Amino acid sequence: MASPRGGGGLKALQQLRSAEPPQWLSPSTELAEAARAASDHLFSSLRPFCPKSPFDRLLIEGFDAEQIWQQIETQMQPLVSGLRRDLKWFERNPEEIREGFGGRRVVEEERKDLEGDEELEEQEELGFDDDDDDDGEDDEEEEEERGGGGIEDRFLKIKELEEYMEDDEAREYGGSKRKHRGGGGGGEEEEEDEDEDIEGLGDSGSEEDDMNARYEDFFGGEKDKGSKNKQKLRKESKDLDDYEDMLNEDSNEDDESENGSDEGLTGDDASLGQLEEGTLSTHEKHLKKQRLKIEQMEKANLEPKTWTMQGEVTAAKRPKNSALEVDLDFEHNVRPAPVITEEVTTSLENLIKSRILDVHFDDVQRLPSLPSKGPKEKKELDENKSKKGLAEIYEEEYEQKTGLVSAPLSFSDEQKKEASLLFKRICLKLDALSHFHFTPKPIVEDMSVKANIPALAMEEIAPMAISDAAMLAPEEVFAGVGDFKDEGELTQAERKRRRASKKRSKKKKFKADTIKRMEMKARNNTINNGKGEEES
Amino acid sequence: MESNGGVSSMVLETVPAAEQKRKFEPLTAHEMSGGNVQYRKVLVPPHRYTPLKKAWMEIYTPIYDQMKIDIRMNLKGRRVELKTRSDTPEVGNLQKCADFVQAFMLGFDAIDAIALLRMDELYVESFEVEDVKRLRGEHLSRAIGRLSGKGGKTKFAIENATKTRIVIADRKIHILGSFVNIKVARDSLCSLILGSPAGKVYSKLRAVTSRLAERF
Repeated sequence: MASPRGGGGLKALQQLRSAEPPQWLSPSTELAEAARAASDHLFSSLRPFCPKSPFDRLLIEGFDAEQIWQQIETQMQPLVSGLRRDLKWFERNPEEIREGFGGRRVVEEERKDLEGDEELEEQEELGFDDDDDDDGEDDEEEEEERGGGGIEDRFLKIKELEEYMEDDEAREYGGSKRKHRGGGGGGEEEEEDEDEDIEGLGDSGSEEDDMNARYEDFFGGEKDKGSKNKQKLRKESKDLDDYEDMLNEDSNEDDESENGSDEGLTGDDASLGQLEEGTLSTHEKHLKKQRLKIEQMEKANLEPKTWTMQGEVTAAKRPKNSALEVDLDFEHNVRPAPVITEEVTTSLENLIKSRILDVHFDDVQRLPSLPSKGPKEKKELDENKSKKGLAEIYEEEYEQKTGLVSAPLSFSDEQKKEASLLFKRICLKLDALSHFHFTPKPIVEDMSVKANIPALAMEEIAPMAISDAAMLAPEEVFAGVGDFKDEGELTQAERKRRRASKKRSKKKKFKADTIKRMEMKARNNTINNGKGEEES
Repeated sequence: MESNGGVSSMVLETVPAAEQKRKFEPLTAHEMSGGNVQYRKVLVPPHRYTPLKKAWMEIYTPIYDQMKIDIRMNLKGRRVELKTRSDTPEVGNLQKCADFVQAFMLGFDAIDAIALLRMDELYVESFEVEDVKRLRGEHLSRAIGRLSGKGGKTKFAIENATKTRIVIADRKIHILGSFVNIKVARDSLCSLILGSPAGKVYSKLRAVTSRLAERF
């Protein structure tokens, strides 16, 4: 089946090459068919160089793009790594190349073939990159990344590193001694690009090789291990429980399970030998898996737990700043701060508005003081100079203490006192005017001059009219007269004198009366005359 | 007297004791001091010279007439001299008069100082502003101003409330009154010196005086 297929394959390759770039954008069955045929052809052509590959031919019919790609990958991995190793070897021994080119060594030829195949392979890879989904590209990229980043200490040998550095420096500064440069220094890639462009005419593959430079290129690590790691990684990313049924997966798994420990066996021969022992049955595989798991768990149990799993851990028992890295869970006793959103603010504002409209404010109101006692009579401090001397003040105090003088009516204010006094006086006067019923003056302890009124008159319910006679004392009545005599005691001369004085007084009186009568008469006459004249 | 003496000499044991005792009158001040005349002299400060001249009769009359103490003014020596007489009734009169004159010299009025003559329990206490708090310069002036108040109203208020008389002579303060009243007045003045406002002092005064008044 190879030859017709081979012819078809070449045709397919040609077709792929001639296809326009926009054609690749939309999926077309024609191109897919062509791609499959081409890949099949390439696969079979490369088959002789991959002794390890489990496939004899590429299984295309009924297989997914992913599956086809997987098959290709399994074939290519060991091949590519082997080629790289050879390249490195060539770098170190450039004479061999010349000899290879010039001579007829089989190895060189093979190598040459390999080189040529490498080119094809690269193209194939590119083609498949176009054909297959992005998964394939991602895969390759993943591999490259992992391959470049995975540093294993056992591979990093200082001596080899130094040798390599020296070679690189010689290459850079020593000019173009060698023609072929394989996956050159990653760091000096930019500087070497020019040289490569000039020299490496057929080294399009090598350029691509530089871009896909990997760890093994520098340090020539274990291909087998690398491949195994890559397979492992691929598995992890692809959720490979689905592929357990597939032979390729099973065989890889076998390799891994048998080399479970970190100290993997080196060399391709060891892995090949294991494969040849035979595949295990499903049950045995399951058991192996379980055993592995159990071993792991037991190992974990024997080790001391991490500090997060221990009970109470103080700061001294855990590494520094380790609590920062762990998400600690503890109870917060504080309420979390409220998140202020627009709704919250609007609700608050609405509340405020409603309160204002209702006039319902939560003002603090002063407690009403209990009306327990009446207002105390506060004694006003007199700020004027006291008119009384100190002696007088003490005198008064003494008098009050001993009770000689009753305490005066206590008034708080001088003005009040004055006002009350005035009012009493007015009241007294009004009472006196209004009726004859005299109300006596109020008893005021004053050293005031009392009116010369007999006590009887004060208390008596009698008219106000008072005669002078009552006021005067008996002696005052006869103020002017000397000694008085009774009628019997009088001498004649005195009798005569009395009679004469009597007569005189009577005469006076009579005369006064007559004059009055005359005047009255005259007045009456004139009036009558007046009246008579009026009448007449 | 002879018959008595004869009787007593005749019957010595049987005479009753009441007849034997003689009644003596109390000693006058003059006799108590052994017939010596006692003197007191009071210096007159220059600023009280003129007031003394004006109030001389008010001072002289009670001392000479009622206390029966001789008093004279030594013009040359600027002194008031007091002397007991033979008929001075009390021993303490001289000292009282001296206190009275001294109080006048401190700055009290004659009518206020007369209380010293009339009452026993009145005293004069003097102290300085510096005794209360060390004040200098403006602070001192302000303190003195605070003590008197505007137009002397704070001083009068304290005087009236505590029945004392206060004289503020630059830095010296003299208080005349009874012991308890002096204490109250002194406390009020000290609080004023220390800086409390007049209103606070008034309220305290009211409380204290009302309490004192209630007691009696």
